[in-house]
Amino acid sequence: MESSSRVGKLGFRRAQTVRTHPASARSRVLLENSSSTRDSDPNYESRESLNSSNFVGTCPDMCPAKERIQRERLRDLAVFERVNGNPGKTSPSLAVKKFCRTLSSNEVHSSDLRPTLVLQNTLKYLLSLMDSSEHPFEVVHDFVFDRTRSIRQDLSMQNIINEEAIEMYEEMVKFHIISHQRLARHRSGPEDSSSLHYLNMEQLTKCLLSLYEVYDINRRLQFINKHEMEFHSFYILLHIGYKIPIMKESLSLWFRHLSSPILHSKEMRFARTLLRYFRMGDYKRFFGILETEASQLQLCLIEPFLNEARVQAISCINHSGYKLQPYPLEHLSEVLMIKEQELESLCCKCGLEVITDELGCKLLPVKQSSFHHPKSDIESYGLTSSDKFHSSLPRPDSSSNLQVNSSHGGTALF
Amino acid sequence: MAYVSMGEAHRRITDFLGRFSDSIASQDGAALRSLLAVSSNSSLLLSLADALNIFQDWARLVKQADRNSQQLGEILVPHLRCIQSFRIGRFVEAYVAFEKSANAFLQEFRNWETAWAVEAVYMVAHEIRVLAELADKELSSMGKNPEKLQGAGSFLMKVFGSLAGKGPKRVGALYVTCQLFKVYFKLGTVHLCRSVIRSIETAKIFDFEEFPSSDKATYMYYTGRLEVYNENFVAADQKLTYALMHCNSRYEANLRMILKYLIPVKLSIGILPKMTLLEKYNLIEYTNVVKALKSGDLRLLRRALQEHEDQFLRTGVYLVLEKLELQVYQRLVKKIHMIQKQKDPSKAHQIKLDLIVKALKWLQVDMDVDEVECIMAILIYKNLMKGYFAHKSKVVVLSKQDPFPKLKGKPVSS
Repeated sequence: MESSSRVGKLGFRRAQTVRTHPASARSRVLLENSSSTRDSDPNYESRESLNSSNFVGTCPDMCPAKERIQRERLRDLAVFERVNGNPGKTSPSLAVKKFCRTLSSNEVHSSDLRPTLVLQNTLKYLLSLMDSSEHPFEVVHDFVFDRTRSIRQDLSMQNIINEEAIEMYEEMVKFHIISHQRLARHRSGPEDSSSLHYLNMEQLTKCLLSLYEVYDINRRLQFINKHEMEFHSFYILLHIGYKIPIMKESLSLWFRHLSSPILHSKEMRFARTLLRYFRMGDYKRFFGILETEASQLQLCLIEPFLNEARVQAISCINHSGYKLQPYPLEHLSEVLMIKEQELESLCCKCGLEVITDELGCKLLPVKQSSFHHPKSDIESYGLTSSDKFHSSLPRPDSSSNLQVNSSHGGTALF
Repeated sequence: MAYVSMGEAHRRITDFLGRFSDSIASQDGAALRSLLAVSSNSSLLLSLADALNIFQDWARLVKQADRNSQQLGEILVPHLRCIQSFRIGRFVEAYVAFEKSANAFLQEFRNWETAWAVEAVYMVAHEIRVLAELADKELSSMGKNPEKLQGAGSFLMKVFGSLAGKGPKRVGALYVTCQLFKVYFKLGTVHLCRSVIRSIETAKIFDFEEFPSSDKATYMYYTGRLEVYNENFVAADQKLTYALMHCNSRYEANLRMILKYLIPVKLSIGILPKMTLLEKYNLIEYTNVVKALKSGDLRLLRRALQEHEDQFLRTGVYLVLEKLELQVYQRLVKKIHMIQKQKDPSKAHQIKLDLIVKALKWLQVDMDVDEVECIMAILIYKNLMKGYFAHKSKVVVLSKQDPFPKLKGKPVSS
């Protein structure tokens, strides 16, 4: 247990006791600044002694004063950090600590690290920026992406693994999922947005894996977090997308070490079933189950992968259909939960021709040999519910009530 | 704890010390090996442990022995401490001591030119893993972080390094590799196997055929399992079959372990085991899976997966078995086709989708026409059926020649 009564510049009182579990002294959390995990770390023994000597941060502001002054001097300030747009002037209420890749443990001082309460408030502030419409989304994302990574670094170096840490990791996962959805909607060719999207998926995965470690440590001491089931399901759903190298183990191996209550939860069953349909190529039931069983966050996560599922379906129908009976687009768009015009556009991107019959209905002739996978990344099309009026499901990106609540009342999402 | 007189205790300890230095002086690997088998609870070591408990000042005896012959104190003192701790069930202490002793032993081993002590090294490799597992259990039960097995893994890598040379010692490398596999599989850090596998399979110093047969079988068992997790069924079949062929048929438990993985692999490439095999090796969890594949009973497959879900998830074959669903659908349609052929051979190749819906309903599987059409499209796409589906006419038309191609040792195409 630690406590202190120092009052920082922003008026945050650090009188809060940070609850650390007895196991924390000897627990390992993935260190942000190293690419190797503890498993393959040759300096295993020394890493252990670092963690057990528990750094306790004393920095009262979102950014350590030393860094703030240095970056002012170097004019290295993001747009959000500038006072009145001045690239050489910032303030304690605007500057946020940057992620530092090359940090080694001997260079770090307690005054550089932010304690739990400061981290919570920093995160709250960063997530509030997601609502800002002043700047293009990519700019906001980039800033929040980097600064939340620094938050994770601070959490890791201080070995903070309590409920507050869990809440923060969960909020950061949510941030990555929403960015995942939004970045995919805007992507259409330019290299930048594609790599932003990929890098975001990478950090989403890293953040999830760190979160699972903290869940595990807490569970050893009999605390099961109420969001664990849903957050575990995200890892399965990520496998519908392309495989990222950081997912070292196959999913089968990951399952072996999960506890039963998690494996059998509703959220996990849904994710496993969805993955099964995807791998089988069963497009009908894939979209069917999405409509009825996915949670909002799960939908956000899956959305950028939907077009891949649709392209597979189109490929399948084109291959197996009857040459003399072109497939009606209206029906297919209902099955694939996409707007008819978007479907037509998708078919074109696959090199397929769409024809119109005498009644004005669009049809997809099958057995076209010109089919190919879309040549560049396409923007994602969301889920369109299959009622007669083809109205879209409420799109979650406009509101972003991402809040970090210090209480355990759960966090409001949308 | 048996009563032992001081004199008797003294005698046992000096006797053991004598045996130890004698075995090294005479380069007797088998003798040395038996002195290191801590977890075997041999009568020799049990009686030694009792003696150590009585004659508390045994470290002095070791120092005396050291003065007379070789400098084995660094190895012996912690080794005896390990034996003493193990006897009273203090496994963490036992492991820590053993690790110290093992490191000192490895230093000496490096200096010995011939491979006489390889048998003893096997024992050290085996023991360090077993003791680490016991230590971790003890740590977990105390709510502490179980990190000893990881440490054992690091040590085993060192051992591997000492065997990976041009000299005669290299014949022991495969045994140590298998111990490493066991460690990594237990920890779930299976990706770490990759580097040892690469060393064994590509390094010029190793000739796979030179290794002892039992080690080769074990090696193929683990690498075969890795192929299963990564769903490379052809490679998995080769490796697991090798393990099966080279496994001594006396060890039924080992055969069973290999079959547990080989059977799902064979099923994936269209080869069904005989029921007698399943019964002989008590692999009844696969009985209904095989029956479902034979009869096209989708309901039975689902029930089998549900009934043994936990077991299949722990083994890591659940995802493999899930994929068999398509083969079950193929079988069902084949049966319907056969029945139609008997009624009217000229029209048999045309199957109404409604009929398939009815057949599924009879099996208590609820699917609508769209869902059935989707499955038909997939079966054709993946070459499990030859023909086409007509959306408007709601019928699937099978090719008159070989409409249900067999897998013939290849998995269903992705």
